Amino acid sequence: MRISTSTLFNANVAQLNTLESNMLQTQQQVSTGKSILTPADNPGGAAQALQVTQTDATNTQYLSNISMAQGTQTLASGVLQNFNTLLQSVQTSVLSAGNTGMSDANRQSVATTLQSDLSQLTAMANSQDASGNYMFSGFKGSTQPFVNTSTGVQYMGDDGQRSIQVSPNSQSASSSSGADIFMRIKNGNGTFVTQATATNTGTGVASQGSVINQALVNGDSYQVNFTSATTYDLTDTTTAATVSTGNAYVSGQAISVGGMQINISGAPASGDTFTIAPSTNVSVFQTISNFITTLNTPTTGNPAATAQLTAGIQSTISGLNNAMSSIGTANAALGSSLDGLAALTSSDNNLHVQYQQTLAGLQSVNMTQAISNLTQEQTILTAAQKSFVSVENLSLFNYIQ
Amino acid sequence: MSSDLFSINVSALNAAQIGLTTTENNIANANTAGYNREQAVQAATPGQNSGSGYLGTGVAVSTVQRVYDQFLSGQVTQQTGQSAQLNTYYSQIQQINNMLASSTTGVQPALQSFFNAVNAVANSPESMPARQTMISTAQSLSTTFQSLSQQLTSINTSVNGQIQTSVSSINGYAQQIAALNQSIVLAQSSSGGQPPNALLDQRDQLVTELNQQIGATVVKQGDGSYNVSVGSGQVLVSGNTAYSLSAVQSTSNPSQLNVAVGTAGGTLIPLQQSSIQGGALGGLLAFRSQTLVQTQDMLGLVATGVAGTFNQQNALGQDLNGNMASSTNSFFTDPVPVVNTNSANTGTASVTATITNYSKLTGSDYSLSYDGTNYTLTRLSDNTVTTSATLPVTVDGVSINLASGTPNAGDSFLIQPTINGATNISVAVTNPALIAAAAPVMANAPTTNTGAAAISAGAVDSTYTAATVTPAVTLTYNSAANTLTGFPSVPVTVTNNGVATVFAAGAPVTYTTGATISFGGASFTITGTPANGDTFTIAQNTSATTDNRNALLLAALQTQNTMQGGTSSYVGVYSQLVDQVGNQTSNLQVTSTAQTTLLNSTIASQQSVSGVNLDEEAANLLRYQQAYQAAGKAMQIASTLFDTLLSIGK
Repeated sequence: MRISTSTLFNANVAQLNTLESNMLQTQQQVSTGKSILTPADNPGGAAQALQVTQTDATNTQYLSNISMAQGTQTLASGVLQNFNTLLQSVQTSVLSAGNTGMSDANRQSVATTLQSDLSQLTAMANSQDASGNYMFSGFKGSTQPFVNTSTGVQYMGDDGQRSIQVSPNSQSASSSSGADIFMRIKNGNGTFVTQATATNTGTGVASQGSVINQALVNGDSYQVNFTSATTYDLTDTTTAATVSTGNAYVSGQAISVGGMQINISGAPASGDTFTIAPSTNVSVFQTISNFITTLNTPTTGNPAATAQLTAGIQSTISGLNNAMSSIGTANAALGSSLDGLAALTSSDNNLHVQYQQTLAGLQSVNMTQAISNLTQEQTILTAAQKSFVSVENLSLFNYIQ
Repeated sequence: MSSDLFSINVSALNAAQIGLTTTENNIANANTAGYNREQAVQAATPGQNSGSGYLGTGVAVSTVQRVYDQFLSGQVTQQTGQSAQLNTYYSQIQQINNMLASSTTGVQPALQSFFNAVNAVANSPESMPARQTMISTAQSLSTTFQSLSQQLTSINTSVNGQIQTSVSSINGYAQQIAALNQSIVLAQSSSGGQPPNALLDQRDQLVTELNQQIGATVVKQGDGSYNVSVGSGQVLVSGNTAYSLSAVQSTSNPSQLNVAVGTAGGTLIPLQQSSIQGGALGGLLAFRSQTLVQTQDMLGLVATGVAGTFNQQNALGQDLNGNMASSTNSFFTDPVPVVNTNSANTGTASVTATITNYSKLTGSDYSLSYDGTNYTLTRLSDNTVTTSATLPVTVDGVSINLASGTPNAGDSFLIQPTINGATNISVAVTNPALIAAAAPVMANAPTTNTGAAAISAGAVDSTYTAATVTPAVTLTYNSAANTLTGFPSVPVTVTNNGVATVFAAGAPVTYTTGATISFGGASFTITGTPANGDTFTIAQNTSATTDNRNALLLAALQTQNTMQGGTSSYVGVYSQLVDQVGNQTSNLQVTSTAQTTLLNSTIASQQSVSGVNLDEEAANLLRYQQAYQAAGKAMQIASTLFDTLLSIGK
């Protein structure tokens, strides 16, 4: 086959070009450590790398969100624990007010202690986080949640619970509503509450009672009406129906109605009434301030007032128990949430490692392979260059004199 | 007899001289582009009859002809055109490929920074620094989009410029070919049919160079001139006449230049762009229609999707001042589709387009035409057609309206919904307090409720207005009937486990725990057992500085499949773009390399026939030199013979 001179040159030059451009590509891979320099190097890989990078980055964002949620939850948990500790001390003071031998003056000084405790508890419920937001006011973070008014401590926040995105499809609470924790506390035994009418003149005290047949509890309110010192009527005040009349009264004996059972002890006077009603929500602050009022009422020489004090102590104790239980439940929920977040943190950290490995697999170059390729290409290029020069020198004109 | 001796030798000397001249010419032109080596064709002159038989009369060079294979030359020309097209397309697309290459700058990192900032606002909605960072990162994101789009626009401008340059070159070649046609015909006729080799080589070289600009077909005429046509048969050169191409503004898309050819009558006929194949021009047009516009559209689709869906979600929230975002208060500027009225339209119609559903956007361009009775809307990516007798018509999330005027039959419009998405995206809000992180409604239950039911905080959809909860709605539960009453007079929908029940306006609503209740665009859930007489209030959200419900929804947009009919997220669309460009570039790299290899091997074949081999010419020099020496020696001997004859007479 006949070869023209230009073909000799052009073919070699073209080959040298190809070798040089391949070598440049390999050299860039070695110097950047990436096998994907432009999308054309690996289109599917480049596209996938974009998705993996986003997934990894959002995972890192979730880690940061989790740490934020952990911060606020730990803070809230600390406040609730301190709150319950103080409540226990309040409970001790309340019990001490029932000691025989306590004078009115002694009870008033207990009332003073309780008043300062109440201020402290209110301040705790108004705690703020590091950014200055109130922790327990729901979505109204710059509004103080618990405010003293003439009718007692009122809740000024809302029921909102701020959430933080901690994974692609789950959120964690980073604030709680003070209404649920401090305000929605059932009084009495949680289902019903007994109350002695304030105008009673006897010394009867109604116990907190308990539910003996849940199926019969229908939310009706009842009244025990003493027609004499030894007999009483039972009326359903919701339906205005009489349940029974002329029941014999024995101090301490059980009285059952509507699936609920209480007992009354002491000596009620004729005309005294006691109500049994479904529990309502009474805030922990209201429970304490009610008792402070009771403590400030002198009882010396007034047996009815003493009975009211005893009843007051009972209802305050159950109110405080219910409050501690509510706060304890909220705290337990925070605790388990924190545990969940800790587990999520460690699994997210593992995910991060996996995503980085996937990315490396997609776009990092195998350095050993690349360097070996580079060396090989350099060798081939050198050989091509040398052979080109030696071939190019051959010409018949060299031999024509 | 001696004259025969001399004349034969003279003819031999002449032939050798011509041979040498031809060889020297070959050597001199060894590196001339398009040169075909020439051979002197010797033929023995007719013999004369003498008594002793026919005696030869010497040699004559009948012609100097070029060693030319028409088939191989034609192949080289055609493949040069194809190679030039692929190389041009490849070098243009490499610009886009490189633009999308960086993993540290570019759309994905900017998008991530922005959504990290949105997450920070969701974590601390009351924080002004967090809100300001969200605005700043949004501005960076916009700048990133704008800068990429600017690069694409520059590429378009440069393509237009290169089209003009190419067209001028083509016109130059056309004129030269026409002139050479004339010279060649003249030279051939005045020399009695001898081929004017240099002119022929020059003309063939011009045809090859023309093919580097545009694929051209050559038909050789009987008189030896070339007729050249381009595109789908439009004549560029006919005999001595050259027509010219011009780059004219496209009637449908003013940002593009198209190619038109002039005719004998002086009119310009636009060439069908897809019919221009081969050469740099073919490559530029293919690049523009198959890659550049698509890239602009898809990049614009990402930007349009981000801006549009983000604005929609932001409008469902409430800012720090307690106001809902409105259309004049949006976070990004709302994306606006581009509508081009065809400059050849005769009617007065003005058409506008608005985006009604971001999820349905396809990123394709659309052509709207009117035939006198019906409007035909064609999706240009796959030529799907929708026909409608009137406007407005809504297709793929875009609503096209007749804003004013009336169209005439034959009028058309080019609608590009996403092409300017990346150019125009910008942050409209400057006051960080206006970011709508909170939800506009709040549901509360008073602590005096004795039941055990709780109500969720509530959410809204796009049909919600403040009128829904003005005045505040108080729902009351009736345990005997198990209903909730107190809704405003609008229908109420209760959805439980996917099954929806609609209650007429004003009717009591049956209570089901855990069901979602919605009315007037607001929805919430009540769970648990309420007591008789329990109430729930749904009202406008006030003083909600730490409410982050809408901010959470905004942050979630990043990973949701908001685009392409619910199948793709923002980064999903962007990665499709990267994949497409990467694939096209990689394919072009392979095909252009393969085409170059093919071209080189065809050139090698052609050169093996027509190319100069210096060693061969060196041998030819020796040959003709020997022939000359031999002829000279024979001349000397003939002269000696004559001298001998002359000396006989002495």
